Amino acid sequence: MAAAKEILLRRPVAATIRLTVPAGGARPATPVGPALGQYRLNLMAFCKDFNARTQKYKPDTPMAVTITAFKDNSFEFTVKSPSVSWYVKKAAGVDKGSTRPGHLTVTTLSVRHVYEIAKVKQTDPFCQYMPLESICKSIIGTANSMGIKIVQDLE
Amino acid sequence: MLARNFIKHFPCKNLSRHHILRDSVRPLIFFTSSTPQSSFSISASLSTSSSSSSSSSCFTDESFAAPYLSVRINCPKHVLDPFSDALLCFGASSVAVDEDIEEDNEDAASGSSLASKEICIESIFPVHEEVKMCISQAANSIGLKEIPKFKVEMGDEQDWITKNQDLFQPVEIADRLWIVPEWTSPPVPEAVNIILNPGFAFGTGEHPTTKLCLLLLQSLIKGGEAFLDYGTGSGILAIAALKFGAASSVGVDIDPLAIKSASHNAALNNIPLEKLELHLAPSENSSSGRETPLQKEQFDVVIANILLNPVMELADHIISFAKPGATIGISGILSEQLPNVKERYSPFLENISIATIGDWVCMSGTKKGEFIDNC
Repeated sequence: MAAAKEILLRRPVAATIRLTVPAGGARPATPVGPALGQYRLNLMAFCKDFNARTQKYKPDTPMAVTITAFKDNSFEFTVKSPSVSWYVKKAAGVDKGSTRPGHLTVTTLSVRHVYEIAKVKQTDPFCQYMPLESICKSIIGTANSMGIKIVQDLE
Repeated sequence: MLARNFIKHFPCKNLSRHHILRDSVRPLIFFTSSTPQSSFSISASLSTSSSSSSSSSCFTDESFAAPYLSVRINCPKHVLDPFSDALLCFGASSVAVDEDIEEDNEDAASGSSLASKEICIESIFPVHEEVKMCISQAANSIGLKEIPKFKVEMGDEQDWITKNQDLFQPVEIADRLWIVPEWTSPPVPEAVNIILNPGFAFGTGEHPTTKLCLLLLQSLIKGGEAFLDYGTGSGILAIAALKFGAASSVGVDIDPLAIKSASHNAALNNIPLEKLELHLAPSENSSSGRETPLQKEQFDVVIANILLNPVMELADHIISFAKPGATIGISGILSEQLPNVKERYSPFLENISIATIGDWVCMSGTKKGEFIDNC
Protein backbone atom coordinates (compact mmCIF):
# COMPACT_ATOMS: atom_id res chain seq x y z
CA MET A 1 0.00 0.00 0.00
CA ALA A 2 2.89 2.31 0.67
CA ALA A 3 4.23 1.73 -2.84
CA ALA A 4 0.88 2.50 -4.39
CA LYS A 5 0.63 5.68 -2.37
CA GLU A 6 4.03 6.85 -3.50
CA ILE A 7 3.29 6.21 -7.11
CA LEU A 8 0.27 8.44 -6.89
CA LEU A 9 2.04 11.25 -5.10
CA ARG A 10 4.70 13.36 -6.66
CA ARG A 11 6.82 13.26 -3.55
CA PRO A 12 6.76 11.27 -0.35
CA VAL A 13 4.61 12.96 2.23
CA ALA A 14 5.94 13.42 5.72
CA ALA A 15 2.82 14.67 7.46
CA THR A 16 -0.52 16.40 7.16
CA ILE A 17 -1.07 19.36 9.45
CA ARG A 18 -4.35 21.09 10.11
CA LEU A 19 -4.72 24.35 11.92
CA THR A 20 -6.74 27.51 12.19
CA VAL A 21 -5.07 30.80 11.39
CA PRO A 22 -6.62 34.28 11.24
CA ALA A 23 -6.77 35.63 7.70
CA GLY A 24 -3.83 37.89 6.97
CA GLY A 25 -2.49 37.24 10.44
CA ALA A 26 -0.09 34.32 10.19
CA ARG A 27 2.96 34.85 12.41
CA PRO A 28 5.85 32.56 13.24
CA ALA A 29 4.55 32.25 16.81
CA THR A 30 1.95 29.79 18.11
CA PRO A 31 0.09 28.09 16.53
CA VAL A 32 1.97 28.27 13.26
CA GLY A 33 5.43 28.13 14.79
CA PRO A 34 5.42 24.86 16.74
CA ALA A 35 3.15 23.07 14.28
CA LEU A 36 5.29 23.80 11.24
CA GLY A 37 8.58 24.09 13.05
CA GLN A 38 8.36 20.46 14.09
CA TYR A 39 8.51 19.42 10.47
CA ARG A 40 11.20 21.99 9.67
CA LEU A 41 9.07 23.88 7.21
CA ASN A 42 9.93 27.41 6.21
CA LEU A 43 7.75 29.44 8.57
CA MET A 44 8.26 32.82 6.99
CA ALA A 45 7.50 31.55 3.53
CA PHE A 46 4.26 30.01 4.78
CA CYS A 47 3.24 33.15 6.65
CA LYS A 48 3.91 35.43 3.72
CA ASP A 49 2.13 33.13 1.30
CA PHE A 50 -0.83 32.48 3.54
CA ASN A 51 -1.24 36.17 4.36
CA ALA A 52 -1.04 37.16 0.71
CA ARG A 53 -3.65 34.60 -0.30
CA THR A 54 -6.07 35.54 2.47
CA GLN A 55 -5.95 39.30 1.87
CA LYS A 56 -9.43 39.24 0.41
CA TYR A 57 -10.99 37.96 3.64
CA LYS A 58 -11.88 40.21 6.54
CA PRO A 59 -8.85 40.38 8.81
CA ASP A 60 -8.80 37.81 11.63
CA THR A 61 -11.42 35.56 10.07
CA PRO A 62 -10.36 32.11 11.28
CA MET A 63 -9.29 30.18 8.20
CA ALA A 64 -8.92 26.42 8.20
CA VAL A 65 -5.55 25.52 6.68
CA THR A 66 -4.41 22.06 5.68
CA ILE A 67 -0.69 21.74 5.04
CA THR A 68 0.91 18.76 3.36
CA ALA A 69 4.54 18.56 4.42
CA PHE A 70 6.83 16.58 2.15
CA LYS A 71 9.90 14.71 3.24
CA ASP A 72 12.20 17.20 1.54
CA ASN A 73 10.80 19.95 3.80
CA SER A 74 8.82 21.57 1.02
CA PHE A 75 5.08 21.91 1.46
CA GLU A 76 1.75 22.72 -0.09
CA PHE A 77 -1.30 24.09 1.60
CA THR A 78 -4.97 24.66 0.96
CA VAL A 79 -7.06 27.27 2.68
CA LYS A 80 -10.74 26.92 3.47
CA SER A 81 -12.99 29.67 4.72
CA PRO A 82 -14.51 29.13 8.17
CA SER A 83 -17.26 26.62 8.62
CA VAL A 84 -20.81 27.56 7.74
CA SER A 85 -21.75 27.42 11.40
CA TRP A 86 -19.14 30.08 12.17
CA TYR A 87 -20.59 32.39 9.52
CA VAL A 88 -24.12 31.78 10.68
CA LYS A 89 -23.21 32.55 14.28
CA LYS A 90 -21.36 35.67 13.22
CA ALA A 91 -24.22 36.90 11.04
CA ALA A 92 -26.71 36.25 13.82
CA GLY A 93 -24.46 37.82 16.42
CA VAL A 94 -24.57 34.84 18.76
CA ASP A 95 -21.83 32.83 20.37
CA LYS A 96 -23.48 29.45 20.45
CA GLY A 97 -26.36 27.79 18.75
CA SER A 98 -29.48 26.73 20.55
CA THR A 99 -29.25 24.06 23.23
CA ARG A 100 -32.38 22.42 21.83
CA PRO A 101 -32.41 22.94 18.09
CA GLY A 102 -35.75 22.21 16.57
CA HIS A 103 -37.51 23.19 19.74
CA LEU A 104 -35.85 26.38 20.81
CA THR A 105 -35.03 29.13 18.35
CA VAL A 106 -32.20 31.37 19.38
CA THR A 107 -32.51 34.03 16.73
CA THR A 108 -33.36 34.56 13.08
CA LEU A 109 -31.49 35.37 9.92
CA SER A 110 -32.77 36.69 6.65
CA VAL A 111 -32.56 35.08 3.24
CA ARG A 112 -30.15 37.82 2.30
CA HIS A 113 -27.69 36.64 4.97
CA VAL A 114 -27.85 33.14 3.55
CA TYR A 115 -27.12 34.45 0.09
CA GLU A 116 -24.10 36.44 1.29
CA ILE A 117 -22.68 33.45 3.13
CA ALA A 118 -23.24 31.25 0.11
CA LYS A 119 -21.30 33.66 -2.08
CA VAL A 120 -18.31 33.49 0.26
CA LYS A 121 -18.45 29.72 0.54
CA GLN A 122 -18.58 29.36 -3.20
CA THR A 123 -15.00 30.63 -3.37
CA ASP A 124 -13.85 27.64 -1.33
CA PRO A 125 -11.96 25.07 -3.35
CA PHE A 126 -14.45 22.39 -2.46
CA CYS A 127 -17.60 24.29 -3.31
CA GLN A 128 -16.59 25.93 -6.53
CA TYR A 129 -18.68 23.76 -8.78
CA MET A 130 -21.76 23.59 -6.63
CA PRO A 131 -24.74 25.65 -7.73
CA LEU A 132 -25.48 28.55 -5.41
CA GLU A 133 -28.87 27.09 -4.63
CA SER A 134 -27.42 23.89 -3.18
CA ILE A 135 -25.02 25.86 -1.04
CA CYS A 136 -27.90 27.98 0.23
CA LYS A 137 -29.93 24.90 1.08
CA SER A 138 -27.04 23.45 3.02
CA ILE A 139 -26.60 26.70 4.92
CA ILE A 140 -30.26 26.78 5.83
CA GLY A 141 -29.98 23.22 7.04
CA THR A 142 -27.00 24.06 9.21
CA ALA A 143 -28.73 27.12 10.62
CA ASN A 144 -31.82 25.11 11.48
CA SER A 145 -29.70 22.51 13.24
CA MET A 146 -28.32 25.31 15.38
CA GLY A 147 -31.75 26.62 16.25
CA ILE A 148 -31.53 29.64 13.98
CA LYS A 149 -34.54 30.30 11.81
CA ILE A 150 -34.33 31.75 8.33
CA VAL A 151 -36.99 34.31 7.47
CA GLN A 152 -37.75 36.20 4.33
CA ASP A 153 -36.90 39.61 5.72
CA LEU A 154 -35.71 41.02 8.99
CA GLU A 155 -37.50 44.18 10.05
CA MET B 1 -7.98 17.50 -6.77
CA LEU B 2 -6.56 20.65 -5.26
CA ALA B 3 -7.95 23.95 -6.46
CA ARG B 4 -5.40 26.14 -8.07
CA ASN B 5 -6.33 29.28 -6.24
CA PHE B 6 -5.37 28.30 -2.77
CA ILE B 7 -2.51 26.00 -3.24
CA LYS B 8 1.02 27.07 -2.97
CA HIS B 9 3.57 24.58 -4.03
CA PHE B 10 7.05 25.09 -2.71
CA PRO B 11 9.42 22.99 -4.72
CA CYS B 12 12.89 23.21 -3.38
CA LYS B 13 14.50 23.76 -6.72
CA ASN B 14 12.58 26.79 -7.84
CA LEU B 15 13.46 29.03 -4.98
CA SER B 16 17.16 29.10 -5.47
CA ARG B 17 19.58 27.84 -7.97
CA HIS B 18 21.69 26.42 -5.23
CA HIS B 19 19.28 24.32 -3.31
CA ILE B 20 20.71 21.14 -2.05
CA LEU B 21 18.08 18.51 -1.66
CA ARG B 22 19.06 16.83 1.51
CA ASP B 23 17.12 16.24 4.66
CA SER B 24 17.82 19.76 5.76
CA VAL B 25 15.52 22.52 4.74
CA ARG B 26 16.29 25.00 2.04
CA PRO B 27 19.30 27.07 2.76
CA LEU B 28 19.14 30.72 3.51
CA ILE B 29 22.46 32.22 2.98
CA PHE B 30 23.54 35.76 3.38
CA PHE B 31 26.93 36.53 2.19
CA THR B 32 28.73 39.71 2.87
CA SER B 33 31.87 40.85 1.30
CA SER B 34 33.74 44.05 1.08
CA THR B 35 32.78 45.98 -1.98
CA PRO B 36 35.20 48.44 -3.46
CA GLN B 37 33.17 51.57 -2.84
CA SER B 38 31.63 50.73 0.47
CA SER B 39 33.39 51.56 3.66
CA PHE B 40 31.77 48.82 5.68
CA SER B 41 33.14 45.39 5.07
CA ILE B 42 32.34 42.47 7.22
CA SER B 43 34.87 39.98 8.31
CA ALA B 44 33.85 36.37 8.10
CA SER B 45 35.05 35.78 11.62
CA LEU B 46 31.73 37.17 12.83
CA SER B 47 30.12 33.82 12.30
CA THR B 48 30.84 31.84 15.41
CA SER B 49 28.59 29.45 17.21
CA SER B 50 28.48 31.61 20.29
CA SER B 51 26.94 34.43 18.35
CA SER B 52 24.11 32.22 17.23
CA SER B 53 23.12 31.36 20.77
CA SER B 54 23.32 34.94 21.91
CA SER B 55 21.37 36.14 18.92
CA SER B 56 18.56 33.72 19.52
CA SER B 57 18.21 34.99 23.05
CA CYS B 58 18.16 38.59 21.88
CA PHE B 59 15.01 37.83 19.96
CA THR B 60 13.15 36.27 22.81
CA ASP B 61 9.99 38.13 23.56
CA GLU B 62 7.26 37.11 25.97
CA SER B 63 4.82 36.30 23.23
CA PHE B 64 7.35 34.21 21.36
CA ALA B 65 8.85 32.34 24.28
CA ALA B 66 5.37 31.20 25.22
CA PRO B 67 5.25 27.54 26.08
CA TYR B 68 2.66 25.30 24.52
CA LEU B 69 1.32 21.85 25.17
CA SER B 70 2.28 19.11 22.79
CA VAL B 71 -0.10 16.18 22.97
CA ARG B 72 0.16 12.79 21.31
CA ILE B 73 -3.18 11.08 20.88
CA ASN B 74 -3.83 7.57 19.66
CA CYS B 75 -6.84 7.80 17.46
CA PRO B 76 -8.69 5.03 15.63
CA LYS B 77 -7.86 5.32 11.98
CA HIS B 78 -11.41 5.33 10.67
CA VAL B 79 -12.38 8.48 12.55
CA LEU B 80 -9.19 10.40 11.89
CA ASP B 81 -10.73 13.20 9.84
CA PRO B 82 -13.78 13.98 11.97
CA PHE B 83 -11.75 13.63 15.13
CA SER B 84 -9.12 16.09 13.90
CA ASP B 85 -11.79 18.61 12.97
CA ALA B 86 -13.49 18.11 16.32
CA LEU B 87 -10.23 18.66 18.18
CA LEU B 88 -9.74 21.94 16.33
CA CYS B 89 -13.26 23.01 17.27
CA PHE B 90 -12.83 22.22 20.91
CA GLY B 91 -9.59 24.02 21.60
CA ALA B 92 -6.62 22.50 19.79
CA SER B 93 -4.40 24.98 17.98
CA SER B 94 -3.24 22.46 15.44
CA VAL B 95 -3.46 18.82 14.53
CA ALA B 96 -0.74 16.95 12.66
CA VAL B 97 -0.63 13.41 11.37
CA ASP B 98 2.55 11.67 10.33
CA GLU B 99 2.33 9.71 7.13
CA ASP B 100 4.79 7.02 8.14
CA ILE B 101 2.20 4.81 9.69
CA GLU B 102 3.25 1.53 8.13
CA GLU B 103 6.36 1.12 10.23
CA ASP B 104 4.48 1.83 13.41
CA ASN B 105 1.98 -0.87 12.66
CA GLU B 106 4.58 -3.52 12.02
CA ASP B 107 6.48 -2.60 15.13
CA ALA B 108 3.46 -2.98 17.37
CA ALA B 109 4.80 -5.66 19.67
CA SER B 110 1.52 -6.59 21.29
CA GLY B 111 0.08 -7.37 17.87
CA SER B 112 -3.43 -6.58 19.01
CA SER B 113 -5.82 -5.69 16.26
CA LEU B 114 -6.35 -2.28 17.77
CA ALA B 115 -2.73 -1.25 17.26
CA SER B 116 -2.90 -1.67 13.51
CA LYS B 117 -6.02 0.47 13.31
CA GLU B 118 -4.72 3.38 15.33
CA ILE B 119 -2.98 6.48 14.17
CA CYS B 120 -0.92 8.81 16.26
CA ILE B 121 -1.97 12.45 16.16
CA GLU B 122 0.31 15.22 17.32
CA SER B 123 -1.70 18.10 18.55
CA ILE B 124 -0.71 21.45 19.95
CA PHE B 125 -2.74 23.19 22.59
CA PRO B 126 -2.44 26.58 24.25
CA VAL B 127 -0.83 26.20 27.61
CA HIS B 128 -3.95 26.99 29.66
CA GLU B 129 -6.25 24.66 27.81
CA GLU B 130 -7.88 21.73 29.56
CA VAL B 131 -6.55 19.02 27.32
CA LYS B 132 -8.41 16.10 28.83
CA MET B 133 -11.77 17.85 28.64
CA CYS B 134 -11.16 18.97 25.10
CA ILE B 135 -10.28 15.48 23.94
CA SER B 136 -13.27 13.93 25.66
CA GLN B 137 -15.60 16.54 24.19
CA ALA B 138 -14.17 15.94 20.76
CA ALA B 139 -14.54 12.19 21.16
CA ASN B 140 -18.13 12.56 22.35
CA SER B 141 -19.08 14.85 19.52
CA ILE B 142 -18.23 12.22 16.93
CA GLY B 143 -19.66 9.33 18.90
CA LEU B 144 -16.50 7.56 20.01
CA LYS B 145 -17.21 5.08 22.77
CA GLU B 146 -14.10 5.71 24.77
CA ILE B 147 -11.67 8.56 25.17
CA PRO B 148 -8.49 7.95 23.18
CA LYS B 149 -5.25 7.54 25.06
CA PHE B 150 -3.06 10.60 25.08
CA LYS B 151 0.18 11.94 26.47
CA VAL B 152 0.90 15.58 27.25
CA GLU B 153 4.27 17.28 27.11
CA MET B 154 5.27 20.87 27.64
CA GLY B 155 6.85 22.40 24.59
CA ASP B 156 8.91 25.53 24.49
CA GLU B 157 9.04 27.94 21.56
CA GLN B 158 12.75 28.42 22.06
CA ASP B 159 13.53 24.82 21.26
CA TRP B 160 12.41 24.65 17.69
CA ILE B 161 13.59 28.14 16.85
CA THR B 162 17.19 27.32 17.62
CA LYS B 163 16.71 23.84 16.23
CA ASN B 164 15.70 25.22 12.89
CA GLN B 165 18.46 27.74 12.62
CA ASP B 166 20.47 25.32 10.52
CA LEU B 167 17.71 25.57 7.94
CA PHE B 168 19.26 28.84 6.85
CA GLN B 169 22.10 28.40 4.47
CA PRO B 170 23.74 30.75 1.99
CA VAL B 171 21.56 31.85 -0.93
CA GLU B 172 22.86 33.21 -4.19
CA ILE B 173 20.51 35.89 -5.45
CA ALA B 174 22.40 36.85 -8.57
CA ASP B 175 25.90 36.59 -9.85
CA ARG B 176 28.15 37.76 -7.01
CA LEU B 177 25.30 38.63 -4.67
CA TRP B 178 24.83 36.31 -1.74
CA ILE B 179 22.91 36.28 1.50
CA VAL B 180 24.73 34.46 4.30
CA PRO B 181 23.44 33.49 7.73
CA GLU B 182 25.34 34.88 10.67
CA TRP B 183 26.79 31.53 11.64
CA THR B 184 28.21 30.52 8.26
CA SER B 185 31.15 31.86 6.38
CA PRO B 186 30.52 33.19 2.90
CA PRO B 187 31.12 30.63 0.16
CA VAL B 188 32.31 33.36 -2.19
CA PRO B 189 34.20 35.95 -0.16
CA GLU B 190 34.69 38.29 -3.12
CA ALA B 191 30.99 38.65 -3.89
CA VAL B 192 28.66 41.17 -2.32
CA ASN B 193 27.69 39.32 0.83
CA ILE B 194 24.90 40.37 3.16
CA ILE B 195 25.09 38.70 6.55
CA LEU B 196 21.75 38.14 8.20
CA ASN B 197 20.13 36.70 11.23
CA PRO B 198 16.46 37.24 10.52
CA GLY B 199 15.13 36.20 13.91
CA PHE B 200 11.40 36.61 13.68
CA ALA B 201 11.41 39.09 10.85
CA PHE B 202 10.73 38.44 7.21
CA GLY B 203 13.48 38.73 4.69
CA THR B 204 16.09 36.07 4.22
CA GLY B 205 16.54 36.28 0.49
CA GLU B 206 14.85 32.97 -0.16
CA HIS B 207 11.39 34.25 -0.89
CA PRO B 208 10.63 35.24 -4.49
CA THR B 209 9.50 38.71 -3.43
CA THR B 210 12.73 39.41 -1.60
CA LYS B 211 14.67 38.24 -4.62
CA LEU B 212 12.64 40.42 -6.96
CA CYS B 213 13.24 43.44 -4.77
CA LEU B 214 16.95 42.74 -4.41
CA LEU B 215 17.34 42.43 -8.16
CA LEU B 216 15.38 45.63 -8.67
CA LEU B 217 17.60 47.40 -6.16
CA GLN B 218 20.72 46.13 -7.80
CA SER B 219 19.62 47.60 -11.12
CA LEU B 220 18.55 50.93 -9.63
CA ILE B 221 21.29 51.91 -7.20
CA LYS B 222 24.13 53.62 -8.97
CA GLY B 223 25.65 55.37 -5.96
CA GLY B 224 24.58 58.12 -3.60
CA GLU B 225 20.83 57.54 -3.52
CA ALA B 226 18.57 57.90 -0.53
CA PHE B 227 16.58 54.71 -0.09
CA LEU B 228 13.40 53.97 1.84
CA ASP B 229 12.50 50.39 2.74
CA TYR B 230 8.85 50.44 3.78
CA GLY B 231 8.16 47.23 5.65
CA THR B 232 11.79 46.48 6.27
CA GLY B 233 11.46 43.19 8.17
CA SER B 234 14.99 41.90 8.68
CA GLY B 235 16.38 45.01 7.03
CA ILE B 236 17.72 43.03 4.11
CA LEU B 237 16.74 45.55 1.43
CA ALA B 238 17.97 48.55 3.39
CA ILE B 239 21.31 46.86 4.00
CA ALA B 240 21.58 45.66 0.41
CA ALA B 241 21.00 49.20 -0.87
CA LEU B 242 23.87 50.49 1.22
CA LYS B 243 26.08 47.68 -0.03
CA PHE B 244 25.24 48.60 -3.59
CA GLY B 245 26.35 52.14 -2.93
CA ALA B 246 23.34 54.11 -1.71
CA ALA B 247 24.15 57.10 0.43
CA SER B 248 21.64 56.32 3.15
CA SER B 249 18.83 53.90 3.95
CA VAL B 250 15.75 54.23 6.07
CA GLY B 251 13.78 51.19 7.21
CA VAL B 252 10.23 51.42 8.52
CA ASP B 253 8.15 48.60 10.04
CA ILE B 254 5.14 48.26 12.33
CA ASP B 255 6.64 45.28 14.15
CA PRO B 256 9.12 46.09 16.95
CA LEU B 257 10.74 42.68 16.50
CA ALA B 258 11.50 43.57 12.90
CA ILE B 259 13.22 46.78 14.00
CA LYS B 260 15.25 44.76 16.49
CA SER B 261 16.20 42.24 13.84
CA ALA B 262 17.11 44.95 11.36
CA SER B 263 19.37 46.80 13.78
CA HIS B 264 21.07 43.54 14.70
CA ASN B 265 21.67 42.82 11.04
CA ALA B 266 22.94 46.33 10.43
CA ALA B 267 25.54 45.74 13.12
CA LEU B 268 26.45 42.41 11.55
CA ASN B 269 27.18 44.21 8.33
CA ASN B 270 29.15 46.94 10.10
CA ILE B 271 26.74 49.65 9.09
CA PRO B 272 27.02 52.84 11.13
CA LEU B 273 23.88 54.38 12.57
CA GLU B 274 23.99 57.46 10.43
CA LYS B 275 23.76 55.39 7.26
CA LEU B 276 20.79 53.25 8.31
CA GLU B 277 17.89 54.75 10.22
CA LEU B 278 15.13 52.53 11.54
CA HIS B 279 11.67 53.73 12.46
CA LEU B 280 8.81 51.93 14.13
CA ALA B 281 5.64 52.95 12.36
CA PRO B 282 2.43 53.02 14.39
CA SER B 283 -0.04 50.33 13.40
CA GLU B 284 -3.77 50.78 12.87
CA ASN B 285 -4.39 52.51 16.20
CA SER B 286 -3.71 55.98 14.87
CA SER B 287 -6.07 56.52 12.00
CA SER B 288 -4.99 59.79 10.51
CA GLY B 289 -1.55 60.06 8.97
CA ARG B 290 1.17 57.84 10.30
CA GLU B 291 3.49 59.97 12.32
CA THR B 292 6.94 58.93 11.32
CA PRO B 293 9.73 61.52 11.55
CA LEU B 294 10.39 61.40 7.83
CA GLN B 295 10.13 64.26 5.42
CA LYS B 296 8.09 64.09 2.28
CA GLU B 297 9.83 63.85 -1.07
CA GLN B 298 13.08 62.81 0.50
CA PHE B 299 13.98 59.56 -1.26
CA ASP B 300 15.29 58.52 -4.64
CA VAL B 301 14.22 54.91 -4.36
CA VAL B 302 11.31 53.55 -2.34
CA ILE B 303 10.45 49.87 -2.04
CA ALA B 304 7.49 48.42 -0.18
CA ASN B 305 7.44 44.62 0.02
CA ILE B 306 4.43 43.96 2.24
CA LEU B 307 0.98 42.58 1.36
CA LEU B 308 -1.92 43.63 -0.85
CA ASN B 309 -4.03 45.40 1.75
CA PRO B 310 -1.36 47.59 3.36
CA VAL B 311 0.08 48.42 -0.06
CA MET B 312 -3.34 49.61 -1.23
CA GLU B 313 -4.18 51.54 1.91
CA LEU B 314 -0.80 53.20 2.27
CA ALA B 315 -0.36 54.05 -1.41
CA ASP B 316 -0.55 57.82 -0.95
CA HIS B 317 1.67 57.64 2.07
CA ILE B 318 4.34 55.54 0.42
CA ILE B 319 4.39 57.68 -2.70
CA SER B 320 4.59 60.90 -0.74
CA PHE B 321 8.05 60.01 0.51
CA ALA B 322 9.49 59.74 -2.97
CA LYS B 323 10.98 62.64 -4.87
CA PRO B 324 9.42 63.38 -8.27
CA GLY B 325 11.13 61.11 -10.77
CA ALA B 326 12.09 58.63 -8.06
CA THR B 327 11.54 54.92 -8.60
CA ILE B 328 8.98 53.13 -6.47
CA GLY B 329 8.85 49.34 -6.20
CA ILE B 330 5.88 47.43 -4.80
CA SER B 331 5.95 43.72 -4.04
CA GLY B 332 4.53 41.05 -1.75
CA ILE B 333 1.62 40.74 -4.13
CA LEU B 334 0.43 37.80 -6.15
CA SER B 335 -0.02 38.07 -9.88
CA GLU B 336 -3.79 37.83 -9.48
CA GLN B 337 -3.68 40.88 -7.19
CA LEU B 338 -1.59 42.92 -9.61
CA PRO B 339 -4.42 44.59 -11.56
CA ASN B 340 -5.76 46.21 -8.38
CA VAL B 341 -2.35 47.50 -7.36
CA LYS B 342 -1.62 48.79 -10.84
CA GLU B 343 -4.90 50.65 -10.90
CA ARG B 344 -4.23 52.16 -7.51
CA TYR B 345 -0.75 53.36 -8.35
CA SER B 346 -1.03 54.37 -11.98
CA PRO B 347 -2.24 57.92 -11.24
CA PHE B 348 1.12 58.50 -9.62
CA LEU B 349 3.54 56.34 -11.57
CA GLU B 350 4.74 56.22 -15.14
CA ASN B 351 7.00 53.70 -16.92
CA ILE B 352 5.45 50.89 -14.96
CA SER B 353 7.22 47.58 -15.38
CA ILE B 354 6.50 44.18 -13.86
CA ALA B 355 8.89 41.43 -12.84
CA THR B 356 7.62 37.97 -11.96
CA ILE B 357 8.90 34.91 -10.15
CA GLY B 358 6.30 32.14 -9.91
CA ASP B 359 3.07 33.58 -8.54
CA TRP B 360 4.73 36.69 -7.12
CA VAL B 361 5.25 39.99 -8.86
CA CYS B 362 7.15 43.18 -8.28
CA MET B 363 5.80 46.35 -9.85
CA SER B 364 8.05 49.35 -10.32
CA GLY B 365 7.58 52.78 -11.85
CA THR B 366 8.80 56.34 -11.60
CA LYS B 367 6.87 59.00 -9.76
CA LYS B 368 5.27 61.55 -12.00
CA GLY B 369 6.55 65.09 -11.82
CA GLU B 370 3.39 67.00 -10.88
CA PHE B 371 1.61 65.46 -7.98
CA ILE B 372 -1.80 64.44 -9.26
CA ASP B 373 -4.43 64.79 -6.63
CA ASN B 374 -6.30 61.58 -6.06
CA CYS B 375 -9.70 61.33 -4.51
